[in-house]
Amino acid sequence: MPELTVRNLRKQFGDNTVLHDNSFTIKDGEFFTLLGPSGCGKSTTLNCIAGLEQPTGGSITVGGTTFVDTERKIFLQPEERNLGMVFQSYALWPHMTIEKNLAMPLKIRKIPRDKQRTLIHEALEKVGLADLSGRYPHQLSGGQQQRVALARALVYSPTVLLLDEPLSNLDAKLREQARAWLKRLQEDLGITTIYVTHDQDEALALSDRIAVMAGGHMLQVDDPHSIYERPAAPEVAAFVGRCNFFEGAVLETVDERHTIRLGCNDGVVEVHSSTQVAVGDTVTVALRPERLEVVPAGEEVAGMNRLDTEVLTSSYVGSHYDYDVRLGSQVVQVESSTPGLTGQVQVVFKPANALLYAQTVELSEDERELITVDS
Amino acid sequence: MATLTSPVAPEQRPEDERDFRPPRYRRPFGIGRDTAVQYAVIALLAIWVLAPVVPTLIQSIRSEPLYEDGGAFTLDGYRHLFTDAGFGRVIWNTALFATLTTLLTLLIAIPMAVVVVRTKLPGGRFFALAMQWPFFISSLILGFGWIIMYGPAGFVSTEFRNVFGGVPWNLYSIPGMAITEAVALAPIAYVFCANALRQSDASLEAAAQVCGAGPFRILTQVIVPMLRPPMVYSSILIFSMSIETLSVPLLYGQPVGIDVFSTFLFTNGLQSVHPNYSVLGAASVIILCVTISLVAVQAKLLKDAARFVSVRGKATRPRPLDLGWLKWVSIAAITFYVVFGALIPILGLVARSFTRIFTPLRNPLDFVTTDNYSTITRYDTYVQSIWNSLIVAGIGAVVVSVIALLAVMVARRSNFRFGRSVEYLALIPQAVPGIIIGIGFFWAFAYAPFGLASALPGTLTALVIAFGLRALPSAFGSVAPSMMQIGAELDNAARVAGADWVMTFFRILRTLITPAFIGAVVLVFVIMLKEYSPAVFLSSADNNILGTTMLELWAQGTTGAVAALATIQIAITAAFVAIASLLTRGKHHA
Repeated sequence: MPELTVRNLRKQFGDNTVLHDNSFTIKDGEFFTLLGPSGCGKSTTLNCIAGLEQPTGGSITVGGTTFVDTERKIFLQPEERNLGMVFQSYALWPHMTIEKNLAMPLKIRKIPRDKQRTLIHEALEKVGLADLSGRYPHQLSGGQQQRVALARALVYSPTVLLLDEPLSNLDAKLREQARAWLKRLQEDLGITTIYVTHDQDEALALSDRIAVMAGGHMLQVDDPHSIYERPAAPEVAAFVGRCNFFEGAVLETVDERHTIRLGCNDGVVEVHSSTQVAVGDTVTVALRPERLEVVPAGEEVAGMNRLDTEVLTSSYVGSHYDYDVRLGSQVVQVESSTPGLTGQVQVVFKPANALLYAQTVELSEDERELITVDS
Repeated sequence: MATLTSPVAPEQRPEDERDFRPPRYRRPFGIGRDTAVQYAVIALLAIWVLAPVVPTLIQSIRSEPLYEDGGAFTLDGYRHLFTDAGFGRVIWNTALFATLTTLLTLLIAIPMAVVVVRTKLPGGRFFALAMQWPFFISSLILGFGWIIMYGPAGFVSTEFRNVFGGVPWNLYSIPGMAITEAVALAPIAYVFCANALRQSDASLEAAAQVCGAGPFRILTQVIVPMLRPPMVYSSILIFSMSIETLSVPLLYGQPVGIDVFSTFLFTNGLQSVHPNYSVLGAASVIILCVTISLVAVQAKLLKDAARFVSVRGKATRPRPLDLGWLKWVSIAAITFYVVFGALIPILGLVARSFTRIFTPLRNPLDFVTTDNYSTITRYDTYVQSIWNSLIVAGIGAVVVSVIALLAVMVARRSNFRFGRSVEYLALIPQAVPGIIIGIGFFWAFAYAPFGLASALPGTLTALVIAFGLRALPSAFGSVAPSMMQIGAELDNAARVAGADWVMTFFRILRTLITPAFIGAVVLVFVIMLKEYSPAVFLSSADNNILGTTMLELWAQGTTGAVAALATIQIAITAAFVAIASLLTRGKHHA
């Protein structure tokens, strides 16, 4: 099976650029996820690959076939690309039975009738719905519809499978089961898959590689582990998992050890990071809530940064406690297994667990209001 | 044979790969059939829409009729229009008539929409339907009915005079014209407002209720202000429709010398011995400018208004307000509108068609006769005009609905570069008055190539073309929302699965759009059956239709025969709508 190459993909609607010259390559058999908030351009990217949208610039090739190349004025219509696609609404044709739904692409490909029957049966068996072939889509549950949509996308053995938030219409419990099932199926088939989602858990659990997108840019393309542990930009850290951001000034830097004064409470912390910074720079320190620990005030913890804070709220969320604590003028989120902390506490973290960015983070007004408190 | 059951890539099974190649579509000269269809649709629409408009523009600046040789470019038509020809008076009359009509229409439609949609009303569903009855009757027939009942010698007027010694109303005046026209147009404004009310978020009212507001406060502070957008754009629509209407001004205004735009064109174009075509063209162009700019403003407002409409995915069931004793007042008002506005005039027409003399002074039952009907059956041309109407409406309904469906497909369901233009082209005829479409095609046919110039005029085809253009915007407007309700992902799924645009339509959308298509056919049939104004310039002895025949008979004073033809037209409409609604109901259950 071929690999899919996207070069300088660009899409503009009038003056509004929704995709900024993105390039990436998806390897044969890879499960590749486009992750980002709504409006980041992930669905546009997918639609450009499917041929449902015409890019303003760039090229897309699969194996030896060029799907689109704006310079050479090549544009293959979606029907000529031999792709399989599952839509967010499943898009099962409501006036056809499940069997007819699956037969449509085969009829278009002029496959003999008896062969059609075998293929449809096999595809439905694969998704565990062989006995429902005579039903109409509205007679199926959401989960069943989603599996039929997948069977319909796979029945003609497409070169690439495109999935546009296929799980987002399922309820939470079912979604997790469907996720595991989808992962097994994709591994069994070995089909190159492009998956679009705004759900970071889905992306982390399913993908071989993830492309995190925001504002039409690809911020980072990497495997799930690197995306979570070493986010390339503050936006990635904020979108994948939760994260506290602190603005600070670099006081001293020795090799990869940096001493930073935080802006919100003038506290001084040490951060180990390979990020290149110079003394006097304004930087951003990012700390994930689960990498912070709360300890009672006055307790000594060796080798850790300590910050004096005050508990604002504590909430029990089952597996742990979520604390909102005040650090100077800023609210900090902390995850902890310690119950019942109130009043003055210390928040501690290892210098290696902090992320350091040379740029400052632009927060929206809503976010800024929510993390700021009167001191 | 295993394809999916084994986790082996298909490239290792060459015999299968052959089968799974994506479908190939032939593209002679690089043009696929999708593109060919799309360009054909826009070309057809452009020719159809521009055919009556362009000759009118040219005629307005030519000194001689278009179909005659010679003549020069001149602005005399415009000069003549504004210096003499009494055009100033016409403008004043038209403005007065249109303004009054608009005000009266809103006065009828808005309270009724609020009461029917938003309050608890015994028999509310019945009243909601009854409000729309006048729509199915042409305003020509309504005018006949009103004259027969409320005219100076009308049935009701005579009775009233007997009892009270005088009649406080005069139908043959601008207010009289406006009241009749308002009754005819109120259903349109009503539908606009009622739909807006149905779509609006019921939780807004619930919120007001929770704050402690009573039904009246909710009505005046929440519901009526929400109606501002539909009020504004339905009043613009009504205004432009009353500028172009011909029937009522022709029936009421002509005898007493009140001229408006449409009757001015009618008189100058048809009744004068030597029509001055450049004046006619100039007047048409000016009226076109007015109506097109009105519709453009309306479209702009409609677009902006859409931003304020909040349709939530979560359906909240509106809880109708209880008006207490006021609901009986509302019921009385609606009943008054339906009974006196539509029912009595129509019953009067039917009664007139079965009597020799129709007056309260003598018992009509003594004069019962079928003579009026035999007058019609005796003359082939009258019978033929009934058939002509049926043929024009029947063929037109199917042809126009197919074209409208194609236009919707191209405008809303394709990546065609000029999709927007297709939509505008399909909607422009809304702004072109029927009588100007008639004049325009009259000139256009004279120009038509390939020998059509001699073949088209005076035929039913000519009427289908002209009436069809008038009905196109309504057909488009009836198909487009249903098409938008069919999720675009269904198309996309078919495209990705290997169907091109044309095949996607035939395999997926055709079945799903059928109910809406039938709805459009019914609507176009009703519109084309009651249409006649373009025909006054396009008809000959061979292609008279119900409307033109009725006008002719009315001019001769054979009121009984007019009433008979009107009754026949109403019966056809009622039967067709009833059958169609039965058929579509059957479809829903299938």
